[in-house]
Amino acid sequence: MTLEETSSGRWTDAQRQHEHAMWAALEQMAPDDPRRGVLRDELITMHLPLVHHLARRYRDRGEDMDDLVQVGTVGLIKAIDGFDPSRGLELSTYATPTILGEIKRHFRDRTWALHVPRRLQVLQAQVTECSDRLTLELHRAPTVRELAAALEVSEADILDALDARTAYAADSLHGTPDDDSIPSALSTLGSMDEGFESIDDRETLRPLIEALPDRERAILQMRFFQGMSQSQIAEALGISQMHVSRLLARTLASLRDGMAQG
Amino acid sequence: MTDKVTVTFAADTRNVALARTVAAAMAARADLPLDQLEDVRLAVDEAVTQVLLAAVPGADVTCTFLVDGYTLQATVAAPTQATEPPSTTTFSWTVLAALVDSAHSSVGDGVMTIGLTASRGLVDV
Repeated sequence: MTLEETSSGRWTDAQRQHEHAMWAALEQMAPDDPRRGVLRDELITMHLPLVHHLARRYRDRGEDMDDLVQVGTVGLIKAIDGFDPSRGLELSTYATPTILGEIKRHFRDRTWALHVPRRLQVLQAQVTECSDRLTLELHRAPTVRELAAALEVSEADILDALDARTAYAADSLHGTPDDDSIPSALSTLGSMDEGFESIDDRETLRPLIEALPDRERAILQMRFFQGMSQSQIAEALGISQMHVSRLLARTLASLRDGMAQG
Repeated sequence: MTDKVTVTFAADTRNVALARTVAAAMAARADLPLDQLEDVRLAVDEAVTQVLLAAVPGADVTCTFLVDGYTLQATVAAPTQATEPPSTTTFSWTVLAALVDSAHSSVGDGVMTIGLTASRGLVDV
């Protein structure tokens, strides 16, 4: 019996009593009692639907669901091992922040992969900010030289920061929901088929493009079939050019993977 | 100022990132604005991938980057058994061609070559 199997998504009284009995039994057992492991496993299994439920909140962030469930389960196990039933809390209440904590940490570690030094992370944020500012001033995207001068770092540092961004691109957790929508004017863009007439592999491509999020599809169309620059797209969508670049790179990579499989 | 860099690596997809990184560095030397720089990075990625797919197994891919003023020329070449250059009517080529000012491909003497040119717009200079 698991959380999800109950119609309301909540524990039935019987389930709750069963869990309480398990905790009571654990209390009575010596630390080295081999039956502890069996009960612990059962508690973990019972609460896995909670992990799935919490992991699903992050399913659109570009990470594999299995990975999220796996790190979430680590959080669940930590919660079970640290749980004190005498405090009167339900395990699910106690475990939720621990599971979410592990999932969020996974995003922090993954998106800023373990390999990107802190210095570059900071510089990358500065480059993004400075690039936006200079774009307004210059009415075009700045060059690496201009960014290096403005931030008083070497051109190599700027390149490293740009490289780190593309190498470990992943969706930001800090984006607002609006960040993922596109202005309504853009959702009425003409059919992509117009630009596609001359493409041989369009039949393979079509389902892949249709499966893209609206914003990614709009960026693809604006860049490749309407000849807009990344900066112009950024302005149209109200996001930074660097963000456009990141989304474009990711979209092209996913299309290429999709076509290789298709 | 003329500046030339050549990198040669085994025809292995793991090396595509290497070519991208050098491409970005050379685009910076041509003083291309950031959006053009990122376009060049993507274009070189596409070009190297296309050449890799056609390369003789175990062959080396050679990328040459030439910066002349505000212009970057990149050529990607590898031995191939193909007799025709990559089709210019694929999505991949459409993307490649849209990212740079000009793109061409050729096959001759058992070598496939894709060449790209990106120039900073005169308006900005």
